[in-house]
Amino acid sequence: MTNPNTAPAATGRKPAGKQAELWREIVKNRAIYLFISPFYILFAIFGLFPVLFSLYLAFNKWDGIGRMRFTGLNQFRYLVTDVQFWKAIWNTLQIWVYSTIPMLFFALLIAFLLNAAFLKYRTLYRIAYFLPNVTSIVAVAIVFGTLFGNKYGLLNFVLTSIGLAPVQWLSSAFWIKIAIASMVVWRWTGYNAIIYLAGLQSIPSVLYEAARIDGASTWQTFTRITVPLLRPVILFTVLTSTIGGMQIFTESQVLNGNGGGPGGAGMTIVLYLYQLAFVKYLFGYASTVAWGLFVIIAAFSYLNYKIVQRPDAS
Amino acid sequence: MRWKQLILLCLAAVLAAGTAGCGQKDDGSDGNGKITLTLWYWNRSMDDNLLKQVEQKFPNIHLKAEKIGGDFKAKLMAAFAARSGAPDIVGLNDWVAEFFPNRDQFVNLFDYGSKELKPLYLEWKWNQTVTPDGQYQIALPMDTGPTALFYREDLFQKAGLPTDPKEVSAQLKTWDDYIAAGEKLKKATNGSVYMFDNINTVFNQTLAQSDKLYFNTADEFIGDQEPVKRAWDNAVKVHELGLSAGISGGTPEWNAAMNKGDVASFIGAVWMKQILMDAAPDTKGKWRIARAPGGDGNSGGSFIAITKQSKHPKEAYEVIKWLENPENQLNTLGTYNLFPSTPSIFGDPKMTPQEPFFGNQRTNEIFSESAKHVKSAYRGPKFSIANSVFSDKLSTVENQNLPADQAWQEAIKRIRKELLLY
Repeated sequence: MTNPNTAPAATGRKPAGKQAELWREIVKNRAIYLFISPFYILFAIFGLFPVLFSLYLAFNKWDGIGRMRFTGLNQFRYLVTDVQFWKAIWNTLQIWVYSTIPMLFFALLIAFLLNAAFLKYRTLYRIAYFLPNVTSIVAVAIVFGTLFGNKYGLLNFVLTSIGLAPVQWLSSAFWIKIAIASMVVWRWTGYNAIIYLAGLQSIPSVLYEAARIDGASTWQTFTRITVPLLRPVILFTVLTSTIGGMQIFTESQVLNGNGGGPGGAGMTIVLYLYQLAFVKYLFGYASTVAWGLFVIIAAFSYLNYKIVQRPDAS
Repeated sequence: MRWKQLILLCLAAVLAAGTAGCGQKDDGSDGNGKITLTLWYWNRSMDDNLLKQVEQKFPNIHLKAEKIGGDFKAKLMAAFAARSGAPDIVGLNDWVAEFFPNRDQFVNLFDYGSKELKPLYLEWKWNQTVTPDGQYQIALPMDTGPTALFYREDLFQKAGLPTDPKEVSAQLKTWDDYIAAGEKLKKATNGSVYMFDNINTVFNQTLAQSDKLYFNTADEFIGDQEPVKRAWDNAVKVHELGLSAGISGGTPEWNAAMNKGDVASFIGAVWMKQILMDAAPDTKGKWRIARAPGGDGNSGGSFIAITKQSKHPKEAYEVIKWLENPENQLNTLGTYNLFPSTPSIFGDPKMTPQEPFFGNQRTNEIFSESAKHVKSAYRGPKFSIANSVFSDKLSTVENQNLPADQAWQEAIKRIRKELLLY
């Protein structure tokens, strides 16, 4: 084995520009660069190129197989006044709120119970709560579709048999969002509970013992010890749920089809994008929407970043 | 040093294996002079046994028939965009006209002498395969979807309506007659049974009976005019009289409604027979078929084409010509319930078996008559743009009580706007 550091490449040469030196270094370590190259090659083909190409497409009309036609800023102008686009964003935000708040609340509750000292068969419960997360999402959406049926669904059967009025789950602009959100809650509560549980178990038990000696109530230990020490974990789950919430797609597609349900009330951003590109074959405008989305998500990420920053500053 | 070389070698091998697929070229013939043709179809769009017979009929051809699942059109589009990987022969659904602007992806069948086949096929069906300038035929017809009235004999009897298919057609001649019968049925059953499943069916089926759709042959939007407006008005009328169950098709809800007998009728294409039989097994023997109020129409049906990427278009043409000849279409009707596009066999006794689900009625007699009287209508490449907006707005009218006039205005405005994107 030769050690690359002892190779006499850099010595005895006349001084060259920084760039030439960099190249020499690269050539010298070519084997190592070759080793890491597969990722960069694949990333360039499947990551970088599509990103740049979509930027180009955003200024063109293209059906995917015919000729591209340059349209300048027309599609961006269309985007700003596109009622469907803004409605999809509003829908997505609503579904995100309806799903994230109950999901994280229940996850915390479940984690707290799983962590309780008196619990038996702990592993069994953990597996049971995590199981929905590994279930095929399409199968879930189909099952939920029959649960939420307007006239012959199981939920409405239960509602009417206890004397309540049936709910038009699949055809009302509000309830369709609840139906979609409930699928997210069902699927991700266990996942978040496991993360919270890991967070809970990393809190030193001496703190709880000290609190007990000082005569603190359960509520006081929960709000003064558990929640503050769990804050980084909670922030993590909020962040991942934000990312997941922006990407809601399959739930709505399987429940509503590509059209986004009653009057487009279940149309999410990603479903809208998919519909434009792969149902309507408007690859140009779909790219415009994607870049509009990029701006919005960037703004959201900045907001998140600011919120994460604050506790550290205080 | 030896390890380094070995690892480099492995790495190079992996890279080579990863890129090898890109450079492969298949000229579609194997060692013993046989030609390989690939064919893409989706489940139940063609008869599997018929496809197996191709190699007996054409000894020099090896047919690789591939059943493509998932989003068929998207996969075809991807193969076209990549300029490689498309099959020689491909099934196309009723969206065939969407490929008119990209007709050069397919061979012009007129160049292979397809004009001589024209008398074999239903004229309105044939017209759907030819571009509006009449110069380019991108596909041959496969099956068709003539429409008729599906109705529950027992429920019609209960409401004092005619029950014999001939009398039903005679009394329910127009949409107004049909809607009036719906009111009668509603009264007779105290509102527990609906005449219509949803108002989108009313709209789509009225339109399917028309000779004009959303666009003229110059692809200009005419959906704010007569046939579309009439279809809209029918749908709104059914909604305002409360005659629709408001259940979308293709859902578990629809199946349950049919099986429970909450819906007494709908106008549908011939392929709805199979869907109804699967959805409502408990209603076996109670359904009948009659010529539809408002006239005959077509809904669905598919086509078969040869792509430009094919190395053997001549041989492929002979294969599709044989596959879709009247005799084979007759057999496919028997095995897969795909309704023929070749009227010469409509009189054949094999066409019209008795069907127990429909009270031993020979329903294909009705559908054959319907198929012969469908009006030729230009669909054009932009059909689904307008159609999806109208059905979206109609659902909103039906389920969220959006005022009908407002919905109409919004639909027209949105379609005109969306068309700017094309």
